[in-house]
Amino acid sequence: MARRGTVVTAVALLGLVGVYVRALAFTPPDRAQGLAQKIFYVHAPVAWAALLAFAITGLVSLLYLVLRDRKLDLIAAASAEVGVAFGIAMLTTGPIWGKPIWGTWWTWDARLTFTLIIFLLFVGYLVLRGALTDFDVRARFSAVLGIMAIVLVPFIHVTVYWFRTLHPKPVLLKPDAPSMPGTMLATLLISVGVFTVLYIGFTMQRYALAVLRDVREEETAGAIP
Amino acid sequence: MPSPDPVVAVRGVSRRFGHRWVVKDISFEVPPGEALLLVGGNGAGKTTLLRVIAGLLNPTAGAVERHAMAGMVAHHTMLYDALTARENLWFFARLHGVAERGRVDALLERLGLGSVAGERIAIFSRGMLQRLAIARALLHDPELLLLDEPLSGLDETAAQIVLDVVAELRARGGALVIATHQLAELVAVAARVGYIVSGRLAALEPVDGRDAASVMNRYRELAAGAR
Amino acid sequence: MPGSALVRVSVAVAAKDLAVELRTKTAFVSSIVFAVLVLAVLYFARDATAVADLDLAPGALWVTFTFAGMLGLNRAFLLERENRALDGLRLTPASPTAIFLGKALGNLVFLGVVELISLPVFILFYDVPIWRQLPILMGVIAMATIAFVAVGTLLSAMVVRTRFSEVMLPLLLLPFLVPPVVSAVQLTWRILALRPLSELTGWLSLLAAFDVIFFTLSLLLFEAILVE
Repeated sequence: MARRGTVVTAVALLGLVGVYVRALAFTPPDRAQGLAQKIFYVHAPVAWAALLAFAITGLVSLLYLVLRDRKLDLIAAASAEVGVAFGIAMLTTGPIWGKPIWGTWWTWDARLTFTLIIFLLFVGYLVLRGALTDFDVRARFSAVLGIMAIVLVPFIHVTVYWFRTLHPKPVLLKPDAPSMPGTMLATLLISVGVFTVLYIGFTMQRYALAVLRDVREEETAGAIP
Repeated sequence: MPSPDPVVAVRGVSRRFGHRWVVKDISFEVPPGEALLLVGGNGAGKTTLLRVIAGLLNPTAGAVERHAMAGMVAHHTMLYDALTARENLWFFARLHGVAERGRVDALLERLGLGSVAGERIAIFSRGMLQRLAIARALLHDPELLLLDEPLSGLDETAAQIVLDVVAELRARGGALVIATHQLAELVAVAARVGYIVSGRLAALEPVDGRDAASVMNRYRELAAGAR
Repeated sequence: MPGSALVRVSVAVAAKDLAVELRTKTAFVSSIVFAVLVLAVLYFARDATAVADLDLAPGALWVTFTFAGMLGLNRAFLLERENRALDGLRLTPASPTAIFLGKALGNLVFLGVVELISLPVFILFYDVPIWRQLPILMGVIAMATIAFVAVGTLLSAMVVRTRFSEVMLPLLLLPFLVPPVVSAVQLTWRILALRPLSELTGWLSLLAAFDVIFFTLSLLLFEAILVE
């Protein structure tokens, strides 16, 4: 698993280089936003990968409570760790892009608020894991929190959108209609693919590490008569 | 002789915490009217085994068969400090569905707590708390009583009350599993001794008139053999 | 577990929690004093010439309720941890469902009392004209409190098993409080501004959906927390 994870990650990193080259050299700059818009090719895909990671943590948590397979718990944790790392990238690149475009580092835009709260939710998930020592208790409790979190996501989404628009009307996760030129859209979609593969590679490696740690603890504990 | 239907049957029970196996493949049965003594050092797995039998912990492997809810007395009193002795018992009686004033008061008297029934238990001594914990365990007339160090902190009078409770329960066909270091008092009421060494049931033997010292020697022998 | 036993056990657990609370009074008194303090501090934490009382009031009320409530929540399960009384509960035929309902009911009454006492203080401090609006505002408070208790009871049962449980509870609970508290603030603001009822329905339905979904979910997941 560790080796395969490394291979997938290496492929994704090569892809990332490709995305950089394509975004910087072969995609025209945005007419209104200028060069600052280039960071968008990292920011949006990394946000996508972070949310994907959290969704998978939630789903795998549910599977854990049903099947009680220790591996599922380790996958949920690995996915959350990678999600939080991507979340940090997302919350760093966002303001860098926002400053020249909006003239401010941070704004309580619905999407920003939404991702910030979801990010903090999963930071809490990792903190809870860190505070529990017994393997089974940790697995069960974090699975419960993972499930709660994934049910919370749509509620947060509706809340922040209503809050911004002030007049409640049903808003679902609908991306802004892609009105950008074809080359830019292609670059974006390639980057989304690359970050998805990067997520898979990172998660595989974190998972492999968790399994190794688990095995070592098992051996240490087994040595006691 | 057909063996009577056991009150509790422990079948191949193992339990792990994280990576550590605390109880390893233990099996035994306790017939009605018998007290089984569990002897073992600190950390041998006696408490965990009792908690599995009580249903407080799920076994990692194996199963426990018993007919009804066991009564249990453990290291912790499982009582509320802010409430009085009577309020504590009354609360647990309600959960058992046996909330009758007479039953609660009779139990308090039986364990010599009648005069302090209205006092908050925060001021109770260790011995008084232990007796109240025993009263709590007896609320629903359990046919199986699990005692973890039942005599710790008790003076002679209180210890005698507990021994009487044990004798009564056996007389009406109840069964007991008792984990203890205080063999002198308890070896007399037990029919068999289970020796627990590092989570395993090293031996399960009849008491057969052995005294405390002889049981202890046998335990040391088994513990040394396991090493 | 038949329905009558469920009610009997839940009520017994809630009554026991409240009896302990009345005996010690620490949590009640500290939560109420804390609420009054927060209301007072928030009143001064603004430029009075720029922000009107009425603009500040809804947020102040809900920040106060949220933090005062959090003070009370941990206590409910710490009580069960103290002498491992929770084991005592589990040695009875009481079902996890009944235990959860009992704990939730106890928390609900606890928070209800804290809110009932701090609400007049809020009206007094912020001089808000709400007497005719009071029934609907109480309804919103009840709904938001149910949301708080549904998630809070479950999370506090987990958190008491960790080190630093006092810090851990707000960390885990606050993200869950975003939908109910924002809804409650929005509703309170509209109620105080005497807006027509039609402007309330959206947020009310969000709050109601949150109550139903998270109460059910917490009830279902509680057993996984309780069993060892």
